[in-house]
Amino acid sequence: MYFLLFFTLACLSTCYCRTENDEKAESMCGLLRQSLTSTSVSVEIDKKGFHRDVVTTVEFSPDGPSDLQALVVHKWPRGIYVDPYQLASLSEHTDWQVLLDSAIDLEVPAHKTVGLVAFVFPALHGRIPRLLKVTVPVHGRYHEPSFDGKKFTSIDLDPPELLLRTGKCTQLSYLDPHTIVDAPCTADNSSICQWARIQHKQGQASFQLPVGDGLLVIPVCSATLLVTLVCCVALAKTVWKHQLFTH
Amino acid sequence: NRVLFTASVAIRLALVAYGDYQDRTMAVKYTDIDYHVFTDAARFITKGESPYNRSTYRYTPLIAWLLTPNIYLNPMFGKLLFIICDVLSGLLMYRILCLRGLGSQAACRMCSLWLLNPLPIGVSSRGNAESILAALVLGTLLCMEGRRLVWAAMLYGLSVHMKIYPITYALPICLTLRTPDTGAGEEKERQTWRRLLGFIRSFLNQELLLFAGVAAGVFCGLTSFFYHMYGWEFLHETYLYHLTRRDIRHNFSPYFYMLYLTADSSWSLGLGLAAFLPQLILLLLVSWAFHLDLALCCFLHTAIFVSFNKVCTSQYFLWYLCLLPLVIPRLSLSPKQGMGLLALWFAGQGVWLGPAYFLEFEGYNTFLLIWLAGLLFLVINCFILIQIIAHYKPEQTAQRLKSD
Repeated sequence: MYFLLFFTLACLSTCYCRTENDEKAESMCGLLRQSLTSTSVSVEIDKKGFHRDVVTTVEFSPDGPSDLQALVVHKWPRGIYVDPYQLASLSEHTDWQVLLDSAIDLEVPAHKTVGLVAFVFPALHGRIPRLLKVTVPVHGRYHEPSFDGKKFTSIDLDPPELLLRTGKCTQLSYLDPHTIVDAPCTADNSSICQWARIQHKQGQASFQLPVGDGLLVIPVCSATLLVTLVCCVALAKTVWKHQLFTH
Repeated sequence: NRVLFTASVAIRLALVAYGDYQDRTMAVKYTDIDYHVFTDAARFITKGESPYNRSTYRYTPLIAWLLTPNIYLNPMFGKLLFIICDVLSGLLMYRILCLRGLGSQAACRMCSLWLLNPLPIGVSSRGNAESILAALVLGTLLCMEGRRLVWAAMLYGLSVHMKIYPITYALPICLTLRTPDTGAGEEKERQTWRRLLGFIRSFLNQELLLFAGVAAGVFCGLTSFFYHMYGWEFLHETYLYHLTRRDIRHNFSPYFYMLYLTADSSWSLGLGLAAFLPQLILLLLVSWAFHLDLALCCFLHTAIFVSFNKVCTSQYFLWYLCLLPLVIPRLSLSPKQGMGLLALWFAGQGVWLGPAYFLEFEGYNTFLLIWLAGLLFLVINCFILIQIIAHYKPEQTAQRLKSD
């Protein structure tokens, strides 16, 4: 009988512990889900010309879990690139890090390359700021000359994906209907973690880059070759006239 | 004399120190990006890897090897090395001018055109390796003036290994070293094939073969050594890239816009060849016309090569600027005319830099303006070269004490 009593008590206490853990997990994930619903991300482009700054602004909700980690995923078209060496030297002065999905060729024109994916890891240091701004310098590539008289080509940047996770929420099913994606845990790409993606996305950002005018091919080539020929002939005449003779 | 050299070293050291301060405190860096490329490549070498793991490292591994003390000792080592080569170039210039008959005072004044010139001072203190090439080319010329052929050949082979452009000096050097015509009789001159044979045979003398052998030996030795160490990548990045380089981004070259617009069309190859012909023809002509005065010949070679090249950046200007002080003593231009030509040259660059700034940093479509400015710069360069050639008076250095 004592055994039966002890057994019942054990079962009840286990059930109670499990419920408590479940409740804790649910509360952690509940905080995360709240963050996911009320956090928003937007992007804008600063500066002019071929060297721009992509400013990502994340507005966090104030009641998120304390160990929240954020990851901004930019999918950029082939018209722009980032300089990994510039980023490396910038990372000495800033607290965010960037991971790129492939090696970057700094000099190839746009139509001969593909877009890139940049994972930006802002460091939150255990305290969630109200507003977080990350500025990533990007550079425009040269594009194919246009054959329809347009002097500029448009680079359209899709809004970035904001991914959130917290170490304490492991039951990601609590985060429905938010999508769960796999992404690197940190900028050194040593492991893959599961992140939750926010659904709210604000509009596209775009800017213009100048392109050459392909309709002027014939006048440009003829004029260039003509001028170089004239210069060559003038120089050759002078050289021949003033040549040094054996003394 | 000593004051000049001490002052030039002091200025350069001061700028290196200032550059270090600016790098640490301000957003716009003083040090050139190339210096970081060299240092990163040297770091790869210290780890036993290939320097070509550093993207955009397109130089001989020798530079990265020379800069390994950047990693072991101090990151400033490379800049100090470039400054020393810079001042050494000034010293070599002085020796060459003295050998060509210029007095000590006048030679100092000529050297100050290089030693106190802000362009080479800025370039070396920012960490570009151009001064090494300048020192090697001037060393080759000095040894040729002093007729020390083995040393000249070794320095020449080394300079061609480091950058390809000194290869153009091969023709004037060969023409200088060949057996001079002994004034053959009338009969022989009538038969063209005999003249041709005699011409070819004049190249096969001991001095020329010695020079060619040593230079080729040094070049091939270095090339095969580095090929053995780093493979195909070394050949591609150091040489082939520069020969086939089609950088369509804006630069001083008159061909820039033409090459950008035709980059993917079928004309691209033909146009590339058409752009190469004026360079080739002029270089052959200049070699033949001026080979008797090697300094002038090399100066004109490089100036023409750079002006008519498919890609031209401001770094290339140093390649012929280091030879200009050797040419100036024999020019019959007045100081006013000289300053006028210099101002014209700077104006040509300014006219190009304006639209280029607006394209790159403000986003305006100024391609046409940049193209026209490039053509104008070519015309200005040709005009200046024509003035230099027309006013060159060989062998009259005693009367020409230019105080420019």
